[in-house]
Amino acid sequence: MRSWRTGVLLFSPLLLVLAGAFIVPLILLAPTSFREYQPGMGIVAGSFTLQNYVRIVADDYYREVVLRTLGLGVGVTVACLLLGYPVAYLIVRGRPGWRLPLTLLVIFPLMLNLVVRSFGWIVLLTNRGVVNNLLIDVGLIEAPLKLMFNVTGVTIGLTHIYLPFMVLMLVAALQNVPRDLEAAAATLGSSRFHVFRAVTLPLTAPGIIAGSILVFVLTISALVTPRMLGGPTYQVMATLIYDEYMQLLDWPSGSALSFALALATLLIIWISSRMTKRWAGLA
Amino acid sequence: MSNLTLDHVVKRYSSVTVVKDVSLAIDEGEFVSLLGPSGCGKTTILRMVAGLIDPSGGTIRIGDRDVTRLPPNKRNIGLVFQSYALFPHLTVHENVAFGLRRKGQSGAALDARVGEALAMVRLAGYGERYPRQLSGGQQQRVAMARAIAPRPNVLLFDEPLSNLDAKLRDEMQIELKRLQRELGITTLFVTHDQAEALSLSDRVCVMQDGVIQQFAEPETIYRRPATAFVASFIGKPNRLAGTIRGGRVALDEQLELRSESDLSGDGRPVEVFIRQEAISLAASGDESVNRIAGTVALRSFSGPQVKYVVRIGSDQELVVEAPSSGPAGDLAPGQPVMLEVHPQDVLVLSRETAP
Amino acid sequence: MNDQRPTLPVTTIALLVVVFLQIPVIVVVLASFSETSYLTIPPQGLTLKWFEAVLTDSAYLGAIRNSLVLAIGATTISMVLGVAASYALFRKMLPGSEALTSLLMSPLIIPSVVIGVALLQYFTLVGLRGGFVVLLLAHVVITVPYIVRSALASLSGIDLSVEEAARCLGADGFTAFRLVTLPLIKPGLVAGALFSFVTSMENVPVTIFLAGPRQTTLPILIFTSVEMGVDPSVAAVSTLLIIATVLVLFFAERWTGFHRFV
Repeated sequence: MRSWRTGVLLFSPLLLVLAGAFIVPLILLAPTSFREYQPGMGIVAGSFTLQNYVRIVADDYYREVVLRTLGLGVGVTVACLLLGYPVAYLIVRGRPGWRLPLTLLVIFPLMLNLVVRSFGWIVLLTNRGVVNNLLIDVGLIEAPLKLMFNVTGVTIGLTHIYLPFMVLMLVAALQNVPRDLEAAAATLGSSRFHVFRAVTLPLTAPGIIAGSILVFVLTISALVTPRMLGGPTYQVMATLIYDEYMQLLDWPSGSALSFALALATLLIIWISSRMTKRWAGLA
Repeated sequence: MSNLTLDHVVKRYSSVTVVKDVSLAIDEGEFVSLLGPSGCGKTTILRMVAGLIDPSGGTIRIGDRDVTRLPPNKRNIGLVFQSYALFPHLTVHENVAFGLRRKGQSGAALDARVGEALAMVRLAGYGERYPRQLSGGQQQRVAMARAIAPRPNVLLFDEPLSNLDAKLRDEMQIELKRLQRELGITTLFVTHDQAEALSLSDRVCVMQDGVIQQFAEPETIYRRPATAFVASFIGKPNRLAGTIRGGRVALDEQLELRSESDLSGDGRPVEVFIRQEAISLAASGDESVNRIAGTVALRSFSGPQVKYVVRIGSDQELVVEAPSSGPAGDLAPGQPVMLEVHPQDVLVLSRETAP
Repeated sequence: MNDQRPTLPVTTIALLVVVFLQIPVIVVVLASFSETSYLTIPPQGLTLKWFEAVLTDSAYLGAIRNSLVLAIGATTISMVLGVAASYALFRKMLPGSEALTSLLMSPLIIPSVVIGVALLQYFTLVGLRGGFVVLLLAHVVITVPYIVRSALASLSGIDLSVEEAARCLGADGFTAFRLVTLPLIKPGLVAGALFSFVTSMENVPVTIFLAGPRQTTLPILIFTSVEMGVDPSVAAVSTLLIIATVLVLFFAERWTGFHRFV
């Protein structure tokens, strides 16, 4: 009983902060999402409507934004996986002396301010930016390519932002693959590629799944990079929520969209954790 | 220095009772071992004495002080952990000084006490090292020095030697015994190693399923086990089923043995324990001993000793140990033998329901 | 053919990807020294005038100060509350510790922008929006998971009996924690504090909904000024942040072997 009282004493300050500045605010978002919004009038008190949720799938514009967000999620995840695997492999299986510098070079962008990283891509990708200037100078193109405010810029930016997470996840997964298994496969007559495909890849599958889930979830909820590289016209769910709250003041629509986004991430994480649990049971 | 008393101590975890009404009185300066298989409640008792676990009932006294509800830091005890639990971020000196500093000591007096404690465990000059720079045996000694430095009223050991290899363990046993004698501190020593318990202790407390089976001197535990559990746990005795018949114990229709145990109650089912080393293969001519005819079924040589499995009576077997250099060191399977057992070595105990 | 060393093509691709990770950083640093008011690579003419502009601009200086105060304040509070709560969870002092752990980690799972709008609405409702305390609490919410994660990981790595040994040697619960447990989990906590600091320093999605005009932070200032157009002084302030990050990472690695905690 003595320890129970100490436990409450130690835990309750943080619990109070979380209750007051996280849990209650999130719960209070729910009633708003069922209110009616009239432009110019604001939120209609006491109203009840499902329209805010229906709109997310029924309205063409909303549907486009949602599908675009999910599409970006898939694209960025695949890009991170393809780019990240060789890096993780080099860190774990490469020369021991390269390990620390490479790891630090992967961590460094992660520690660097997100806004700065996105700004870097603006410098590179604008109409008169580094990439376009370079291509024009070399003579490959005559007029600047449109690299920003569209899917290209946002995908490049988000891939760059979330790639370190993927690499670190894959490094952890690769470290858990016993080298003896790969050696065993090799002595059994497997080619290098076959060893990778038959042993390394399946054994790192949990890391691949975990990294992919993480990158996907982060991508669909990203606000800063899509806004900085996508501008006000190329909208994703998070930027739309931002505009609905800050520009349009349509809180009911914004909160419904927020719930949809939060629910999507929670659902994905829940399903994936159930999947990995079942896999762990098999292994 | 004080005596240690446990009075009707009980520990329950929701539905399981791991310590059932244990009463135990340890005299001042005495060395007592709690011996038993894992899960018998011995470590729980030790941790309750230390104050790391609250008992569900009963009282614990150190000297004439009731410490049952006191936190560990108010009990003035020294505990040596199975894992040693040295502070990895502190030097050996600071590890040993830890308890002294909590008592407000500092400066030269503290250094002197630390040096004294380290000298006692023969680690003088190791003060500036860190635990990770020491071998397992040295870490063990630091743990002891740390426990004795503040001069506790009671020393507690939780299987302290189980992480050492066999050779080192023997050395440390002697060291530990010497140290405890010198200091004369009341000591409670938890172990599952019977040889360790028998050789170190003034008295041994054998436990099973949270209950004290026997609390007595090592010799008594060995020669006169109080229960079938104690008899089977100490050593590797032959264990046979028998029945009391006319002041003797019968193993089957023909085979009857004399015994000095209680043989009252005709027809009572009993268990018979005969130690391997108490059975002689040589004919002594002494008429008072039990003589059992048998046939060697198996011979197993292990250096100084030879073990035989001897078939006796209708379908029973006895394991017999003999010196390999003696006349009985060379019997071949199939050979008939005559076994002799002194009646005082035939232990007859009531049959238990538990295995 | 004795091993599974990466082949030359794999190594090449991997190194190119690592370079790709550094490109925006290099570009920003170069651009910040550029003479021209638009950004060019290589820079045309070298100048420090954009740094001077940043360091004399009260908007930038105020934002830097706000960010530092907020990050240090939030990290300190998160550290105290987070370590206390983690310790209670670790020692199983409370029932349902698994569920409580998930609760503490949940601000990492809920999209930041959703937390942002939820807090905006809530604090507008209770009439506290725009206050510094509100912003500080919000940053505690988003930084505390990093502290809890590193504290729990560090605690699970130490031998429980070490603290018990301290208690038997006469230390009360708090003294045992302070003298034994705390020093042993310190490297992990330093790493956690660094993550917390960085998270607070770069946060936009929560801050932008809550910060009043006098509480603009550095990332908010860059974020909004980029919407107006690109200006080399943004590159200059970014370069300052890059230098600060390199220094912090360098010392964190030296002191705690930081990369092990990532």
